[in-house]
Amino acid sequence: MARIGVDVGGTNTDLVLECSKGTFFHKVPSTPADQSIATVEGIEQICGMAGIEKMDIEVISHGTTIATNITIEHNGAEVGFITSKGFRDILHIGRHKRPHNFSLHFDVPWQSRPLAKRRNRFAVTERIRPPSGEIEVPLNEGEVRAACTTFKKRGINSVAIGFMFSFLNDSHERRARDIVLEEMPDAYVSISSEVANVIREYERFSTAAMNAFVGPQSSMYLRNLEAKVKSAGIPAKLRVIQSNGGISTIEGCARKPVGILMSGPAGGVIGALSEARLAGAENILTVDIGGTSADISTIASGRFRIKNPRDTVVSGHAVMAPMIDLETIGAGGGSIAYLDMAGGFNVGPRSAGSEPGPACYNRGGTEPTVTDAQVVLGRMDADKFLGGDLPLDPELSIKAIKKRIADPLGVSVTEAALGIIKVVNNNMSLTIRSNSVARGYDPRDFSLMAFGGAGPFHGAALAELVAARDVLVPLAPGITAAMGLLGTDLQYEHTRSVITNLFAADQKAIDKVNATASELKAMGRELLDGDEIDEADQSFEAIAEIRYHGQGFELRVPMPRDGLSLDNKAEVIDAFHKQHIADYGYSFDDSLVELYTVRVIATANVRHLELEPLFKGGPDDVKDAFMYERETIFDDGSVRMTPRLDRGKLGAGTRVQGPAVIIQHNSTTLVPPDYTAEILNYGSMRLVKA
Amino acid sequence: MTKEHKTIDPITLQVIRGSIETIAEEMAHVLFRMSFSSIIRESEDLGAGLFDTDFNTLCESESTPMHIGSIPGYLAGIQNTLDDGEWYEGDVVVHNHPYHGASHTPDLAIVIPIFYEGDLVGYSGNTAHHIDIGAATPGLIIDVPDVYAEGMLFAGTKLYRKGARNETLWNFIRNNSRAARQLVDDIEAQIASARLGEKRFQELLDRYGKDLVFGACNQLMDYSEKMLRQRIAAIPNGEYRSEAWLDDDGRNRGQHLSVKVCVRVIGDRIEVDLTGSAPQTPTAYNVPFEGSTKVAAFAAFRKLLLDTATSDTRVPSNQGSFRPIEVIAPKGSIFNPEAPTSAEARFTQCNMMIDLIMKAMAPVLPDEIIAGSSASISFASYAGVRPNGEYWVFLEVNEGAYGGRPNSDGPDSIDNLMANTRNNPLEDLAMHIPMICERYELREDVSPGAGKYRGGIGVVKSQRILTDGIITHESERHSNVPWGIFGGKDGAAGKCEIYNARTNDPAREMHSKFHGLEVKKDDVMAYYSPCGGGFGSPLERDPQKVLDDVLDGFCSVEQAHAVYGVVLDLEAETVNVSATEARREQMDAAIQGTA
Repeated sequence: MARIGVDVGGTNTDLVLECSKGTFFHKVPSTPADQSIATVEGIEQICGMAGIEKMDIEVISHGTTIATNITIEHNGAEVGFITSKGFRDILHIGRHKRPHNFSLHFDVPWQSRPLAKRRNRFAVTERIRPPSGEIEVPLNEGEVRAACTTFKKRGINSVAIGFMFSFLNDSHERRARDIVLEEMPDAYVSISSEVANVIREYERFSTAAMNAFVGPQSSMYLRNLEAKVKSAGIPAKLRVIQSNGGISTIEGCARKPVGILMSGPAGGVIGALSEARLAGAENILTVDIGGTSADISTIASGRFRIKNPRDTVVSGHAVMAPMIDLETIGAGGGSIAYLDMAGGFNVGPRSAGSEPGPACYNRGGTEPTVTDAQVVLGRMDADKFLGGDLPLDPELSIKAIKKRIADPLGVSVTEAALGIIKVVNNNMSLTIRSNSVARGYDPRDFSLMAFGGAGPFHGAALAELVAARDVLVPLAPGITAAMGLLGTDLQYEHTRSVITNLFAADQKAIDKVNATASELKAMGRELLDGDEIDEADQSFEAIAEIRYHGQGFELRVPMPRDGLSLDNKAEVIDAFHKQHIADYGYSFDDSLVELYTVRVIATANVRHLELEPLFKGGPDDVKDAFMYERETIFDDGSVRMTPRLDRGKLGAGTRVQGPAVIIQHNSTTLVPPDYTAEILNYGSMRLVKA
Repeated sequence: MTKEHKTIDPITLQVIRGSIETIAEEMAHVLFRMSFSSIIRESEDLGAGLFDTDFNTLCESESTPMHIGSIPGYLAGIQNTLDDGEWYEGDVVVHNHPYHGASHTPDLAIVIPIFYEGDLVGYSGNTAHHIDIGAATPGLIIDVPDVYAEGMLFAGTKLYRKGARNETLWNFIRNNSRAARQLVDDIEAQIASARLGEKRFQELLDRYGKDLVFGACNQLMDYSEKMLRQRIAAIPNGEYRSEAWLDDDGRNRGQHLSVKVCVRVIGDRIEVDLTGSAPQTPTAYNVPFEGSTKVAAFAAFRKLLLDTATSDTRVPSNQGSFRPIEVIAPKGSIFNPEAPTSAEARFTQCNMMIDLIMKAMAPVLPDEIIAGSSASISFASYAGVRPNGEYWVFLEVNEGAYGGRPNSDGPDSIDNLMANTRNNPLEDLAMHIPMICERYELREDVSPGAGKYRGGIGVVKSQRILTDGIITHESERHSNVPWGIFGGKDGAAGKCEIYNARTNDPAREMHSKFHGLEVKKDDVMAYYSPCGGGFGSPLERDPQKVLDDVLDGFCSVEQAHAVYGVVLDLEAETVNVSATEARREQMDAAIQGTA
């Protein structure tokens, strides 16, 4: 069985192939106009490297930043929004809480960058009556059609529908969707009761609007990719990693792209976690630096964290979808350095991506990027980029930095390049701190794992800025996220609200809870069967989400193995009290206990990526790995003749004294003069300051 | 506590800072995740933090600004009234007395002493707004005779003594609230939050030692103080004044109440002098000095001088930022009432004071201040009796809007100045309380203040009550319109109406404050919040932004033409550039001509 992980970033497409012949890594430049081109090419090339047939690939696990980048650059679809009369501005008002307590000049992202502009929000007559959910005022279908007329006039083709109390009764939302599709047959339609079927109007509407905002581009991308893979003669199933670390189908993701907003970064965190295990490290600050952005997360005691769905905000907008707790900032190799109108020196979040890419790519980019700075400082050898597959033109880097930064500031090109690196490092370190120190973790207990194509250039500098213990550089830093794609389980989650007073629950109420759990389990089983997972490898975890009646938040308690019963419901109540004590230090023993939601997680116990230990290093490894040496400029401005070493020739246990530049096909590690790099047993590398 | 300390290295300092800030956030998190009443669990009308034995705030959660900075006042009040006269390990104190440092009576503080190696080293505490503490009417009050009508008063009262629960007191509380279950359970949530703070702080002391932790805390306070003093020192010395008025005290209609602000900049310190403001009122419309007046003045300068959105470095939230500011309000005035006057309804006066501080500072801080904001609040209590004889009570905070700003429009429909709660989800409300929201949208009946950057737009919220009931509403600015500045136009006043959804009777126009109003089934209260004033001349506004506002319904075509001098082609949804230039030249000339 052969499996491939493909991680498509803004700049590069990374691949990992695992088959009977071993594990293979590859990287090709992304093709943003049609990402599937690079994906298919990469798959064909990596199969060639391994000497296997395309026919042998069974599963392709895909990580994508398509949806994420749409939110960062705010260039999604123009969205038409249909809502209940009297509630046109729920998306504009949000939760009416300012992002800053002590500020007069704060930005309000949901107002300054709305998912649906007010002119495109139409409030139509309809009313669902709470708490029963009966229809009080029928839907005015003419008003829905009238809204569509305006949408068509404005060229809008993505429509979100969010009605008040649709979590109680979704019939108006469904009917409105049918009408929209009659009027606009090609429209991409998102309805709130499908995208996030939960109480709380703002969060539900915002999630639906976000789905509409990223949906058309994301689904077109995914469907196109699926078609291209198929037409290239690759029979494999295509799967997409979701923000919560689980994976799902193309069809599911195309319908609900809010689930993949953090797809790309999730792969990175999982990949970092598996590398950390091999390196024997429990506490990791992960820094995944790609071409466009950097993703930062904290793994404490060997576990990544899932954000509470109530806290998940993407680019300032509420999105109710489970996701790994990580932060993304616009800082990467392609981040553009520029002087603003007031003379301020900025790096990012605007990125040159791979088209046109950094100036040195010679694809028409004229603005200097972080990569151009690395080239100017002699850290990135223009003739060896991607193993020489994509030669760079250093003259273009110099020209761009001189014209746009150095001359206007009256400094040398070298000083300007060092400034670019300093600013981008500082931006990243602040985010690392807010994700670790600000949450009570002491970075001195943590290793900073720097990966992504550009990560190992920055690892040592970032570790110093945040005072991390040391730096870990994974075996294949440029494709750690792709490796993570092979380290995750196939997983489907289904939930349904079944509000039940556990104290008063009689046999009938209990039967309803169990029936709900069985249905959710059947839904998961159907998907796993569709993936041809043996029954023996399928597992199901049923969770009761419970709260005290009147509370606003639920806690998770496992459902009894053989379902809920009159006999064991007291145990469930007791387990909830205990969980409440564990989380909050207190329980309300005489309060009503209410089961709110049943969640079933269906998992396939697939084999994880297994790496062989690295060969043992010999006394002459460093000498053998020596390729050539060049002058390199370090962060303190010192210029050192610095050897280039081939990482592939450094065995386990070898130590390299800095300064050194350690090169591999998909990444380059900068070892500053006062650092030592040690190669670990499974091929990762630890950098420690002398 | 160790006052003498050597400089702590920046990494350790940063780590301890991150740790204590995380403790405060964790305390707040437990409190709102665990609590039952929507004013705490949804609106997050609460504050939590750690304090040293001199009552300095070491850290506070980022919840609502009115709570932030108020707890030191409570601690000083507790010190003077404490049961037994001293603290024991295992004590838990409840406190809300407005003449002993509390912010106002519904904000109960829970305070736990932190002992370390046998010594009292500090306090873990929080405040939260409770929906009913047995005042004269359910929920909120305004037109009451004195402080004793505010409900249960607690002063240094021990709910636990040496770890033993005072059941008599808990029984008393349970029998004196219209929402006893929620009150008691929410107090339990506050205790759990405070105990967590105690535990986490002791763990921090175990890890780094008492000297290092308190040394770091002192250094962080000095740092905050220094940052603020530097900013103050850059302002020219002098007296900066402004004044406005409040609608009335909730009883004596038509009698405006004067608010006068004088900001005295003296080197690196500031005095906020409220002398000349109205005398204390005979109703509850007064501001407790320690727990609210001072807190609002501190907050004004943090917003103005340490703006977290524009500063590169975030200054820690601690006592240091209070030290450079002195607040003066004569005893017996609306900002410093004397017992036994009631002082429960105190929010809008605080917001007006802050709005006036901005206006006063305009000549010297033109790039920092903003035009007049709604500077109000809408705080409403709705209540009724269920068929089983039990009360239901619902408290709601409605938002306002900001004035236009030097580089951007005033934000619309958002909590203003001292308020920063979350709104209660309308769906959650309807599932728990016999009420339903009829409308929650931006106002279209008025325009926000025009300007280069326009004022923010207020909301209209119409809440319908499904049983007979009682409404109390605390609001402001029905008569004093948020001002425009530097050529910007004034915003719009607030208003409030009550009508019945099932009859065609005309709507009743309400005063900004009314108390204990009996309403009928299907009565609807529609609140319209004030809109902010504009900043700079409307003729300088980017015509594209004017077009956007017209398309979005924030501005009429007529207003675009008459006030902004912008000519539009609505069919094509474009700006007629040449006609706009001509129109603006003509309007400019007219202005020059009259000038």
